[in-house]
Amino acid sequence: MLPAIVLITLALAPLGLLARTGPRPLVGWALALLPALSFALLLFQLPQVTGTTQIREVIPWVPTMGVELSFALDGLSLLFALVITGIGTLIIGYAGHYMHDDPGLGRFLLYLILFMGAMLGLVLAGNVLTMFIFWELTSVTSYLLIGYKHDYPGARRGALQSLVITAGGGLALLLGLLILGEGARHAGVAPNQIYNFDAIIAAGAEIKAGPFYTPALLLILVGAFTKSAQFPFHFWLPGAMQAPTPASAFLHSATMVKAGVYLLARLAPGLGDTPLWHAALVLVGGFTFAFGALVATRKDDIKALLAYTTLSMLGGLIMLIGLGGKYAAEAVAVNILAHALYKSALFMIAGIIDHEAGSRDLRHLGGLRRMMPATAFFIALALLSQMGIPIFFGFVGKELLIEAALESLLAAPWRYAALAAIVIAAVGYIIAAWRLFKHAFLGTSSPTLAQRHHVADPRGMLVSPAIPALLSILVPLALLPWASQLLAPAASVVYGKPISFDLALWHGFNTALMVSSGAILLGILLARFERPLAALPPHLPAWADGADLLDRLLAGVDRIGGLIMGTLQTGQLRRYMLYNTITLLLITGVPFVLYVLPGLSFITPDPQLRIYEAFAAALIPIAVVAAIRAESRLSAIISVGVVGAMVSLFFILFSAPDLALTQLLIEVLSTVFLLLVFSILPARFANLSSPATRMRDAILSGMVGLLVAGLVLATATTTIFEPLAPYYLENSLAKGKGQNVVNVILVDFRGFDTMGEVTVLLTALLGIYGLLRMRREKQ
Amino acid sequence: MILILAITIGCLFAGGFYLILRRSLVKLILGLILLSHGVNLLIFTMGDGVRRGAPPIVDKNGVAPINVADPVVQALILTAIVISFGLTAFILTLAYRANQVTGSDDLDSMQGEG
Repeated sequence: MLPAIVLITLALAPLGLLARTGPRPLVGWALALLPALSFALLLFQLPQVTGTTQIREVIPWVPTMGVELSFALDGLSLLFALVITGIGTLIIGYAGHYMHDDPGLGRFLLYLILFMGAMLGLVLAGNVLTMFIFWELTSVTSYLLIGYKHDYPGARRGALQSLVITAGGGLALLLGLLILGEGARHAGVAPNQIYNFDAIIAAGAEIKAGPFYTPALLLILVGAFTKSAQFPFHFWLPGAMQAPTPASAFLHSATMVKAGVYLLARLAPGLGDTPLWHAALVLVGGFTFAFGALVATRKDDIKALLAYTTLSMLGGLIMLIGLGGKYAAEAVAVNILAHALYKSALFMIAGIIDHEAGSRDLRHLGGLRRMMPATAFFIALALLSQMGIPIFFGFVGKELLIEAALESLLAAPWRYAALAAIVIAAVGYIIAAWRLFKHAFLGTSSPTLAQRHHVADPRGMLVSPAIPALLSILVPLALLPWASQLLAPAASVVYGKPISFDLALWHGFNTALMVSSGAILLGILLARFERPLAALPPHLPAWADGADLLDRLLAGVDRIGGLIMGTLQTGQLRRYMLYNTITLLLITGVPFVLYVLPGLSFITPDPQLRIYEAFAAALIPIAVVAAIRAESRLSAIISVGVVGAMVSLFFILFSAPDLALTQLLIEVLSTVFLLLVFSILPARFANLSSPATRMRDAILSGMVGLLVAGLVLATATTTIFEPLAPYYLENSLAKGKGQNVVNVILVDFRGFDTMGEVTVLLTALLGIYGLLRMRREKQ
Repeated sequence: MILILAITIGCLFAGGFYLILRRSLVKLILGLILLSHGVNLLIFTMGDGVRRGAPPIVDKNGVAPINVADPVVQALILTAIVISFGLTAFILTLAYRANQVTGSDDLDSMQGEG
């Protein structure tokens, strides 16, 4: 069932093209049935997934190397898969409304469904290589979705940057996963299981003790941090807001960006709990948590504001995984769900504001609550959840976050740093949320907005955000037992041991509640001064903008590439030949001199050597030198002819009559051709190169000659492979009905080679004909 | 015997490389011709030893002579000879055309005329 869900979703992606025509919102909702069906299927698996048990389905691929298409469903996969299909259903329906007049909706939905299949594959993979394939597929589909409006340079830039960052991180990840596999092999895991998630986690202790742990972990962290937009790779996520809002709501808040979190959460029981793990995750995650929240309070573009709170929350999740412990595992599970619910609702409502009011810039909005009361209600629900106000789902998540920091087994400085990040983020969320609501919905309408008519609640479009927004309040009030049943297995997977917990809204008066209330009070207090706060320095210096830095880096790579190409690619054949000659001398000559030359025997006595053989051999060097030094065309032709004749003689002497015949015939033809063509060339050859160049070339080509002669001596006597000759000699008459074995090989055994040879000749003939004919037509 | 072949092949390679590195188109062609001879002989030595007086021709009963030469490399070289002839012929025509257009056999004078 698991591979079916993934592969069918991917295969059905072209159905998205149905939305090219027809009644748009209806087609959108019809297509939404696809993820809705997967959602229902997955929901039925819930009773079977308890504790850390899992459902596993494997399609063998390269069994000997441990490569298989393996799918597994456990608590964590199920949580993610339900979020993906559940929000996917809403998003596809929403897209039908949001883009109802966009001619490219079909293409957009195609990408979106493709992405959904890839993301499902990522979270359902039971093997790191399977996961990696889908991981890359999500990067590619994300690129296509961000660059959807490819007419805009901003969209192209955002798409390219996200691809460079996430695919670059993907390369690091692949390397890290392969090293991890080696680590597992080193730790004694069976060779066909080394890429298996379970086997890796089970062998975690041995892998951590082995030499492969640190490089593997560092590379995997680069992959996870780039994908989940952690500082300093965070800037691609705000850039990705160029995507149409349904894509932002789906990929860049609820699903794809959580892939890094997912991977780390899955590996935590095996690879976690080391000083490197704690330090990297708590530092990077905690910093991004606080940094993102602070930047969000200063943003005027609603989507940018949401993007920064998203990357902040991703940092919070990564920090939690770094803290480790039972409460952290619970907090990860709860916050993944809570964040997916409120953030997808917020993004979809941001899209509604943009769609209805024509702008998503807080400076140009205002007073929307009178025109769009229902929208205002639902965004308020989602924002309150994000702010972590009591009785909302976000509050439950934040309580657990604080609990996790307090109860963590790490040293006190780590715990206090984590707590500080949580408080800063909580305050930042409150200010950012208040800013958003105040400037968009309260106050009076801006003049531009007042001129727009028909600004009203879009009923169809509001269905999608309304559901997660309502769940943000309904889950804590009414559905907590059900949510616990879903979240406990997920937390168990992150913790590595079964946990059972009952979520509750009220934990009594404890430290967590005090910290939480303090943060809320401070947030409300500071929110009153949001305007002066936003205007406050420090503003980041312009050069520190990651997106610009990346642009400059890429431009620099281009420039260096151009410089190298300009130097090397001169357009002169002899220049390229020079590179080839030097390369040949380096990569063949150096090993030859080092390893082969010492054992080479130069003089092997040959009693059969005849005087005429030596004579023929001596004539060739003389003719070669004559050809080089020839100053007139006739002497050049004669010299080359002598070489050809001597080579034919060699063939006669060394048992190759067919070759001798062919060579002689060809030699005669070549000479005729040479005479014909050279007759129109200048009678005397000028020396075009300087003496120094000639000397350099003579030395280089002399070395090539020595090298080749040495190679002939070294190889002629060795037989590494079984000779092919006996087969042809035995079967020539029996199978080929011919006594001349060379001829039988050419026309029978290797007949296709001869056909290829004829084709080459024919091509040359056509080329010659074309060249000559072109001239005639010009005249 | 292998020694004289090695020296011969070395000379042909050295001469071929030197001529290909020249600026003159005519010398480039001569270099290619020498190089193809060198490569053919190189293949010749790569077989099951170089033999005298025992061409790979079986008798009426399909039995090969004692100490027979390797037929496989000969078949390969036969193909190579013909193909290098095709190449030579084509390149000669190219030189002929280039000379008609530029009036010179200096390769540098042929740049930038797209």
